[in-house]
Amino acid sequence: MISWLKSREKPLEAIHLALGCADYAASYRLQHQLHTLRCQGRIPDTILTVMHNPVLTIGRSGSRTNILVSPEVLQEEGIAVYEVERGGDITYHGPGQLVVYPIIDLREQGRDLKRYIRNLEQALIDCLQELGIMAERHAGFPGVWVDRRKIASIGVYVKHWVTLHGLALNVRVNRKHFGLINPCGMEIEVVSLNDLLDEAISLEEVTSHLLAKMEPLFGWEFTKGEVGEFLERGT
Amino acid sequence: MGDDRLGELRLPDLGEVDEVAVVKWLKKEGEVLKAGEDLLEVETEKTTFVIEAPQAGCLKSIVRREGEKARLDDLLAEIA
Repeated sequence: MISWLKSREKPLEAIHLALGCADYAASYRLQHQLHTLRCQGRIPDTILTVMHNPVLTIGRSGSRTNILVSPEVLQEEGIAVYEVERGGDITYHGPGQLVVYPIIDLREQGRDLKRYIRNLEQALIDCLQELGIMAERHAGFPGVWVDRRKIASIGVYVKHWVTLHGLALNVRVNRKHFGLINPCGMEIEVVSLNDLLDEAISLEEVTSHLLAKMEPLFGWEFTKGEVGEFLERGT
Repeated sequence: MGDDRLGELRLPDLGEVDEVAVVKWLKKEGEVLKAGEDLLEVETEKTTFVIEAPQAGCLKSIVRREGEKARLDDLLAEIA
């Protein structure tokens, strides 16, 4: 355990908000509302877990050239495209993918962007290991990989040292949808957790495993919150 | 940010980060700045980080342009 975590007497309060299946645009607005409240110190670290309908999001380093189909095809499939402020290139979110948006204050985590990304990756690796999957990092390519196939992506935005956006873990995604893009702007293969397991696992189970691995890495103690009453707390 | 000398904006300490890329200037040269206002975005490790104006003034010159790399304490801009 790293020294600044060791020196903490009590765990940090952290709230888990499970949004279930939620619209990308609505979740995006919620992230920004929570970011403002976190910056003002009116709420503790808050971790959103969510599953989206199919969308493509393009980060600050990305471009639409990594979309491999026409706008008409996207429209027919009902897939919206959002250009957002997170780091990285293009990615896909959709059913069967666990998306985690930690809205957390990195000043309480050692003010280190690299450590934050490493901790997200470590939580994913530990979670997958518990499920019997050996996953790893690839130097220079943030995210988590299994046999050179990408199982989890990371893209983050940090303002006033408080984070937005986060990670996406493929649990049982429609691989056809990843064929719409060059994920992260590269020609890579993606894989889902359930392609690798003999027995299928639910998103809820994976969420519990992942949060349990994040808790000690970030020095948190989770309580569960409800979105409505939670926003009222900050207003 | 803290380490900036008056009139200078330097890359702050972002932890064990070797290098960042300047991705977007949110102000143009010659624009008036308020202290703490969002000034530019840099990216490292799939993370966009917003750097704020360290002082009020005017963005005199941009030293590191979009697409260029910067390391800890490198001069990013001059503020008059």
